[in-house]
Amino acid sequence: MNSNNKVKLFVVDDDIIYLKLIEIEFLQYPGFKLETYATGEICIENLSHEPDIIILDYHLDGIEKHAMNGIQTLDKIKEINPFIPVVMLSSQDKIEVAINCLHHKAFDYIVKSETAFIRLQKVIASIIHTRKIEESLEWYMERRYNPSH
Amino acid sequence: MERTKLHESLYASSLIEASLDPLIAFNTEGIITDMNQAKVNITGVEREKLIGTNFFEYFTEPQKALEVYQEVFAKGFVTDSPLTFRHKNGRLTDVLFNGSVYKDAKGKVLGAVVVARDIAEQKWATELRAANKELAFQNDEKEKRAAELILANKELVFQNEEKEKRAAELILANHELIFQNEEKEKRAAELILANKELIFQNEEKGKRAAELIIADKELIYQNEEKGKRAAELIIADKELIYQNKEKEKRAAELIIADKELVYQNTEKEKRAAELAIADKELVYQTKEKEKRAAELIIADKELVYQNKEKEKRAAELIIAAKELIFQNEEKERREIANIELEKFSYSLKLASQYSLSLIEASLDPLITISPEGKITDMNHATVNITGLSRDKLTGTDFFDYFTNPQKAREVYQEVFANGSVADYPLTVRHMDGKLTDVLFNGSVYKDDRGNVLGVVVVARDITDQKRIATELTEAIVFAELATQLAEEAKIKAENATRIAENAVKAKQQFLSNMSHEIRTPMNAIIGFTKVLLKTDLSAKQKEYLTSIKMSGDALIVLINDILDLAKVDAGKMTFEQIPFKLSLSIAAMLHLFDSKIQEKNLKLVKEYDDRIPEVLLGDPVRLHQIILNLVSNAVKFTSKGKISVSIKLLSEDDKKVTIQFSISDTGIGIAKDKIDKIFENFQQASSDTSRLYGGTGLGLAIVKQLVEPQSGTISVKSKVDVGSTFSFILPFQKTNADVAIAPELVELDPGIKNIKVLVVEDIALNQLLMRTLLDDFGFECDIATNGKIAIEMLEAKSYDIILMDLQMPEMNGFETTAYIRHTMNSLIPIIALTADVTTADLAKCKAVGMNDYIAKPVDDRLLYSKIVAFVKKTIPLNDHSVILNTENKKLKCTNMDFLKKHTKSNQALMTEMISLYLEQTPPLIKTMNQCLSSEDWKLLYSTVHKLIPSFSIVGISADFENMAKKVQEYAGTQQQTDKIHKLVQQLESVCNQACVELEEEFNLIKNT
Repeated sequence: MNSNNKVKLFVVDDDIIYLKLIEIEFLQYPGFKLETYATGEICIENLSHEPDIIILDYHLDGIEKHAMNGIQTLDKIKEINPFIPVVMLSSQDKIEVAINCLHHKAFDYIVKSETAFIRLQKVIASIIHTRKIEESLEWYMERRYNPSH
Repeated sequence: MERTKLHESLYASSLIEASLDPLIAFNTEGIITDMNQAKVNITGVEREKLIGTNFFEYFTEPQKALEVYQEVFAKGFVTDSPLTFRHKNGRLTDVLFNGSVYKDAKGKVLGAVVVARDIAEQKWATELRAANKELAFQNDEKEKRAAELILANKELVFQNEEKEKRAAELILANHELIFQNEEKEKRAAELILANKELIFQNEEKGKRAAELIIADKELIYQNEEKGKRAAELIIADKELIYQNKEKEKRAAELIIADKELVYQNTEKEKRAAELAIADKELVYQTKEKEKRAAELIIADKELVYQNKEKEKRAAELIIAAKELIFQNEEKERREIANIELEKFSYSLKLASQYSLSLIEASLDPLITISPEGKITDMNHATVNITGLSRDKLTGTDFFDYFTNPQKAREVYQEVFANGSVADYPLTVRHMDGKLTDVLFNGSVYKDDRGNVLGVVVVARDITDQKRIATELTEAIVFAELATQLAEEAKIKAENATRIAENAVKAKQQFLSNMSHEIRTPMNAIIGFTKVLLKTDLSAKQKEYLTSIKMSGDALIVLINDILDLAKVDAGKMTFEQIPFKLSLSIAAMLHLFDSKIQEKNLKLVKEYDDRIPEVLLGDPVRLHQIILNLVSNAVKFTSKGKISVSIKLLSEDDKKVTIQFSISDTGIGIAKDKIDKIFENFQQASSDTSRLYGGTGLGLAIVKQLVEPQSGTISVKSKVDVGSTFSFILPFQKTNADVAIAPELVELDPGIKNIKVLVVEDIALNQLLMRTLLDDFGFECDIATNGKIAIEMLEAKSYDIILMDLQMPEMNGFETTAYIRHTMNSLIPIIALTADVTTADLAKCKAVGMNDYIAKPVDDRLLYSKIVAFVKKTIPLNDHSVILNTENKKLKCTNMDFLKKHTKSNQALMTEMISLYLEQTPPLIKTMNQCLSSEDWKLLYSTVHKLIPSFSIVGISADFENMAKKVQEYAGTQQQTDKIHKLVQQLESVCNQACVELEEEFNLIKNT
């Protein structure tokens, strides 16, 4: 996590209204720090900001033909840092799309709907939970193999 | 013959010359004419030079010599006149002068011859001559002398006996001295103990010193803090005292708190007294110590003195004894010499004793040390400080008597090196271990030739200085203790203050709760009484019921008063700033008194200043309360005559107006001495008034509390039996805003029926009351016990209006209303039923979307008016605006519900969202059309895809969303492309419409 204990989220969506909506929704939760990007390219450029979680729209190349689509962006993120959890967000409710995303190592897939934000919250909660478990496991393992620590 | 004469003359002259005594002849003028060799010797001046000079010049005292000379000529002779010759080289010779005049043959005085006998050297010759002359005579005399000597011996024996007695006395004195020495040693022992304590404290002091500096700073800081605190405390105390006085009658807890305070004050005083006593004790002990020290000094002096006396006596004895022996041996020859010798030695002794006693008297130890470092002499103070006798000290090593001999050696070496040393600190060790801190001063002393003989050192005992330092430390410790005590007392006082404050809070909470609890059953009592009054009753029954209702009303007024006061005390009284019509407000209120005024056959006169602006900004509820209180007082205390209410504009500017309200009556009036008190809690002008006229005496107190916080003033003029005038002046802001139409009281209209009312109320009694009232009005009525049930019922059936209690289990009135407004999206009028009409609650009612409120106990006429007003408003309004609305609704494809919900009605966020929509949508529509003409189905799919989420955000109906999804589907599968055109057109039109509407909304939000 970040030094100021806030969870840093990247939200990437070419629909700026939806982007703003997510931003507004997260305003109510002071534990989060948001950075929003309208394209996958800008998101990749700013990966050095070390996001804790990335929320990525599936359909990034809707209007801009040559823009990176969601899957490409996802692959690029994983190439740079495989440990950043990425949650895919899309209005696509097709199961194949979802499975494809998971094959590309997305943490989860959420369909844009009324309940999207609630589901997003739950996913984020479970990411944080998993991370904590992993961290404590790591700590214990380290102690086990390096008892001097 | 001649020859014999010559011989004789020669013989005489040689005799003269041979004389060892100076012989001088001088004439009547005092000029020397002749002299012998002795004279030449004694003056050192030659014969020739002496002759012709003045006789007087050769004496130490010429005047006296002149007198001798004059005496010779006057009497013709002089015998044994003492004079002193001065030799040319300064040597002096004591002589006795004898002289006589010599005359010529005719008896004329020619001059004088004097013989000066050198007493020092030549008395033996004189004596011998005398002895020779008187040998025979002396032989006779000797025998007499022998007899005298025998007598003298006897006398001596007697004197020896006397001396022995004296010795015995001295032994006694010595015993006494020993006893006193023992006493002194006891004292010393005490002093040793004190010294040990001192040493220990000195060590402690070192550590303490640093701590003390910090502590002192801390103390100063704390004192300043305390000063501030004290000031705060004083203020708090004053406040407390004031509150205590105020509340004595009402709260027993406060009395306890007061007692606690008083107790603590006495505790504090006791502590202070103890401290004062401790201080006195300290001073007393210090004085005692000083006395002891003074006594010791005196005792010391006495001792020294007696020692000296003893020594003197001893010396005298020794001298006397020696003298005796000497006298016995030498008496015959040297009686005179003996006496002189004795005198000389005595004077010497005296001089030496004088300086010795000075040294001995010194309280500072004085020590002389030889260049080898051995003690050669010391005074008594040294003996005291080391505890060793003079004998033991003499000849020992000077350094042995210090705790740090090396250092002492350095001191001593420094004295020899520099000639002196000043204020060198050392510690002397007493024989029995007692240590004395001293400062050393010393210098060398030399003999006549400048050779260094030794060192004299003075050790100044600084025990007293250290003792004073210790006492200072003790005093500081005491001061610290006192500070600590004061601190504790302060904390206690603060605690007491807190307890008292808590008590006040608890009391207010209690009052508030009690009032609330009482009000609920009172609602039922009054409500049902009203209902009963409407039924057919006998005259008696009606009378009784009226009494019940009046008592109930009075009780409700009292409870409201108490609640108000509690609110004022708690600082919870707030004043609204809402637009209202003053004239209507006043009229409605005075209307309430119509019946009472008629009953009492009084006249009500109203004067209203027309210049007052119609709409003002202020708190109409509180204004009502003020006027209500004053008018009801006026009515209560007036039995005949009139009551005038006058409202005058005092001043007006751009922003505000100042209005004076006066309520005059022709009632009993108020006595002058009571007039100051009537605005206090529970005060009526006299105790009789409450008996006669009832009331709690809270009304005017509340009025005052309502006027003053609104920056108003209230005053009263009154004359007993003539009447009273209460005036208050209040400022109001001016406003252009319109007033929400105040519901006028509507008479029961039997025409209005079939109004369906849902009452949400948890208390069964109140449910029954509401049902009865509503049945009376001829309305349909359903009851829900809580919010949850109400929502279920709303979903099942439609109602015209909801009456909503606020405090309910499961789901309270606020939650229920919020759910109805936001989740069910229903605009059904909701009227809150509330017992506690506080501003906060009302604001909350409005915030959750309630339309109005009615205070409990419910006034049936008010309830009826409000229900009718709301139902009527919605019906005709609907008639009016149905067209508008339907038009609107058709035109208006968007709503702000989603945005409001998600942004929590944050206008900044809402405008941000709207502007983003306005920014993003038109290009999408454009793209959509382009795709359609170029048959770029994939892009169309994506574009529509992007459009979909925004529909729900701006409140566009889900129909359009489905439409968009259909477009996507067709575009994806590239089927029924012919239908796409129509769908896209519809989407385009709704989106354009949405843009227009949102732009309006945007401007609306921005302008408000």
